[in-house]
Amino acid sequence: MINTILRGVVYFVVLVLLQVWVLNNIHFLRVATPFLYLYFILKMPVNASRVHVLFFSFLIGLTIDLFSNTSGMHAAACTLDAFVRQPLIQLLVGKDLPEEILPSYRTFGYGAFFRYVLLFVLIHHVTLFLIESMTFFDPLFLVIRIGASVAASVLLICTVEAFNLGAQPSGD
Amino acid sequence: MRKLLDFLISKRHWFLFVLLEIISFVLIYYNHAYQRNIMFGSANVIMGHVATVSSNVVAYLHLREVNRELLERNGQLEMELLDLQDQLEMMHADTVLFRGAVADSTGSFPYRFIVADVVSNSVTCLANYVTLNKGRADGVEPDMGVVSDRGVVGIVSTVSEHFSVVIPLLNPKSRLSCKILGSNYFGSLTWNGHDARLANLEELPRHVKFEKGDTVVTSGYSAVFPAGIIVGRVVDYKKQRDDNFYSLDVELATDFRVLDHVRIIKNYRQAEQKKVEQEAKKND
Repeated sequence: MINTILRGVVYFVVLVLLQVWVLNNIHFLRVATPFLYLYFILKMPVNASRVHVLFFSFLIGLTIDLFSNTSGMHAAACTLDAFVRQPLIQLLVGKDLPEEILPSYRTFGYGAFFRYVLLFVLIHHVTLFLIESMTFFDPLFLVIRIGASVAASVLLICTVEAFNLGAQPSGD
Repeated sequence: MRKLLDFLISKRHWFLFVLLEIISFVLIYYNHAYQRNIMFGSANVIMGHVATVSSNVVAYLHLREVNRELLERNGQLEMELLDLQDQLEMMHADTVLFRGAVADSTGSFPYRFIVADVVSNSVTCLANYVTLNKGRADGVEPDMGVVSDRGVVGIVSTVSEHFSVVIPLLNPKSRLSCKILGSNYFGSLTWNGHDARLANLEELPRHVKFEKGDTVVTSGYSAVFPAGIIVGRVVDYKKQRDDNFYSLDVELATDFRVLDHVRIIKNYRQAEQKKVEQEAKKND
């Protein structure tokens, strides 16, 4: 329990600083920005209460918003993401999961974890960019931005997860 | 009753979800309605300090100091130049056109400037913002113009004690009244949303004569910028839909990707001009 909280706090701080100081400045070919901070929401324990998941997702979204002058956009996208997280896991992995596990390659299997990350990131980015384009609508540019950013985020999250594999208790 | 309560508790994440989404959208809405919210955004002190740390990591300290002195000097000279131009135009009007239009001898050039560093900047978002390290304590107020060595940057929107947030030309909220150097017809400059180098000058009447390569300068009508500050250069033009106006592609003079030191322009008579304009509208 203490471990989970401690890990959560460390993830939160490190991911927010990394996102604000480094990743927000990356705009590959002026379209792709990776949002690694979603890793925090992705890695919450599977059996965490949905209220907790919603609250902390909203919190990290709001923190990112404060630092990048986007007031509310990330918070809205993260809250939606947190809301669909549990149904998504049940859909992809099934209901008979052992208690207290963290989503990872080992617990979900490679294919299922990748699909989980992909769908999760896709929902987040579509929401985020749709909200952002309320001020400035250009359908083709929007689709390109969503596609490129999803690819960048998924690639980065899967890479981080691959290197993080040894450090994680598998739970089984 | 108990069953109802149980049901509500078991669905409590639905309520939380709806509540949090409402909060988010209220925040988004208030940001979109052109507002001066001190609570959020990087004008907030903590956010400003975090941004300062990151900009310190990037910049070389001793170069900055030298650069600042040069900038200060450059700014003074530029202000003097604008002042002299202003006086010269008065003389012209006085001698050539109207004998009665004698220059106001008590009038002085109403603009002064404050030098500031950029602590946070973006060029590739749809709505970009620039944060500066000077705030109310240094005399910065909302609606002041901001220029770099090369040309116009934007207009101050939010000010805290030690930081201020600028809405640069690269933001859909920004509209700047501009004219082609040498003509007095003005249009409004907006960003095209893609490229940090290009903006569009729209609503320029069709009979205005210009060439590709002509300089675009501020019109001076808004009391934010003095007239004649460089904005950019015409690179291309096309007719607008109703055929009576031109839409010009303008290459911006300021390179927003390497923005470092800027000057904030203070107009002592802005409040007065706004007040008299409002009174005129009220009389309609």
